[in-house]
Amino acid sequence: MSGTQSQKRRRVVGHVWTAGKYAFLAAMLLFFLFPLYWLVATALKTQAEMFSVPPVWWPERFALDYFRDILFRSSFGRLAWNSVVVAGGSTLLSVVVGTMGAYSLSRFRLPFGLNRHISFWILSTRMFPPIVSIVPLFLIMRSLDLVDTRLALILAYSVFNLPFVVWMMKGFFDELPRELEESALIDGDTPFGAFRRIILPLVRPGLAATAVFCLIVAWNEFLFALVLTQTEAALTLPVGIANQVTQYEIRWGAMSAAGVVAMIPLFVFALLVQRHLVRGLSYGAVKG
Amino acid sequence: MERDLATPVTSLRRAGRQGFFPYLFLAPAVALLLALTVYPLLYIVRISLYRLTPAGETFVGGENFLRLVRDPFFFQSLGQTFLLMAGALTLEFFFGLALALLLDSEIRARGLWRALLLLPMILPPVVVGVIWRLIYNPNFGVLNGALQLLGVDTTRLTWLADPSVALAALVVVDVWEWTPFVFLILLAGLQAIPEEPYEAARIDGSSAWQTFRHITLPLLAPAILVALLLRTMDLLRLFDQVFILTQGGPGFATETISLYIYKTAFRFFDFGYAAAMSLVLLVATLIVSRFYLGFLQKKERPT
Repeated sequence: MSGTQSQKRRRVVGHVWTAGKYAFLAAMLLFFLFPLYWLVATALKTQAEMFSVPPVWWPERFALDYFRDILFRSSFGRLAWNSVVVAGGSTLLSVVVGTMGAYSLSRFRLPFGLNRHISFWILSTRMFPPIVSIVPLFLIMRSLDLVDTRLALILAYSVFNLPFVVWMMKGFFDELPRELEESALIDGDTPFGAFRRIILPLVRPGLAATAVFCLIVAWNEFLFALVLTQTEAALTLPVGIANQVTQYEIRWGAMSAAGVVAMIPLFVFALLVQRHLVRGLSYGAVKG
Repeated sequence: MERDLATPVTSLRRAGRQGFFPYLFLAPAVALLLALTVYPLLYIVRISLYRLTPAGETFVGGENFLRLVRDPFFFQSLGQTFLLMAGALTLEFFFGLALALLLDSEIRARGLWRALLLLPMILPPVVVGVIWRLIYNPNFGVLNGALQLLGVDTTRLTWLADPSVALAALVVVDVWEWTPFVFLILLAGLQAIPEEPYEAARIDGSSAWQTFRHITLPLLAPAILVALLLRTMDLLRLFDQVFILTQGGPGFATETISLYIYKTAFRFFDFGYAAAMSLVLLVATLIVSRFYLGFLQKKERPT
């Protein structure tokens, strides 16, 4: 008798626990997803809907006016192109230079414990707050007359992308057995030939994920671009959007639409790297 | 056969026998890093000892650092950065851990779910700022709109414009952006824990809390430390979102250390003083990360 009662009580507690758990999960899901929805919805509203109180939860008709505005009637296209060039250029630079360096660090024993020293130095650059780098970088770029050029940003983004590539790729190379190149070397291949024909194809998935991470970081970067660019010759999208926000009269619609457009490549990137995401975001510390 | 393989093994390991190949491959990376990380560091140490004006530079020795010690704004921005960090770290850790524990057995966070959860953290921080300005706007923002529907009087809820609330509002933004990151790292950590210790605990009749306290938590500690270390370093440098959301205002209420250095250097062109503050921030960051790394090493090599 008492046995069934305590069983019943346990079942009730179990139900309450399950209900509480799903309520918590639902609240979390709403908290994380609603802001994303709200940006997209705002960009699709009309002027009247945007400022309506109470808020319009679902836009009446999808107004594409703001998208048309930013795409055809402003410097948005120019800024987007700058972002593409800077993100692409800096990624290419960091991936090529970094992969070569990582291979050398992973495979060869250099004198004076250089492997260890260089690896530690590269990891420690992750600790550098960007504001610490940008003050001297600005003065250096100014003396080289590179301020307000896309080249300045491409070079400056190597500050964080190059160490990232070296660190990630070293991890991927370390996972491959050395016997792979050794047999190629016996067959009379050069070290470079062994690297290019045998190792590079094997790390291609890791290399692609690493490159996508560099693209994301460069596409999103704000502080360096804010300091190193001034005109449409080099302004990137984040700085363009920030200029909208910090003006006296804020153009909310255009700003939201620009935000949505800046977000689109990241949707694609997120799907591409999701398998390597934890590893990339944790700087290789967690191999999830 | 074994003997044949032995020769190239040593030749591959030792760089000398490969001629210049290893150095040739490493040289561009080292050169670029020297130019972009070491040279600027030396440069900033130098200019921290100077006063830079358009007319030229004067050597002032430790004056910039003395000024820093007496600058209440410097300490306020440093304090606010730490306050923001403490609030965000705490909430992100608890929500991230709760989510990871609840979802560990339920779903394999794959595919669309993971991609959606990823979005806040890989979104441009500037866009994150835009989103939350749309939410926090006191007049037509959706937060006050929703509160009004619930019958709350929102006339005095100005969020980012209220000095006593603005910093907390920024914490919420960071929690939104980065809790999924903490969650994903802790989930990866949980899923890497083997089954055996749990089975042993079940046989011993441990309670759920005992199992969590004595098995899950210690085995999850490295993942927790990595997540907290990375979040700490990023929070110490927080800039973009604050720049978009409040510009450090109202007044000085949400000024972070990065923002204060930025304004000093690029609005007031006081590069020497900005350099001195940058060095203090760098040292603070190194000390804090050293602290975490010490813990991490202790965890990895149990005595």
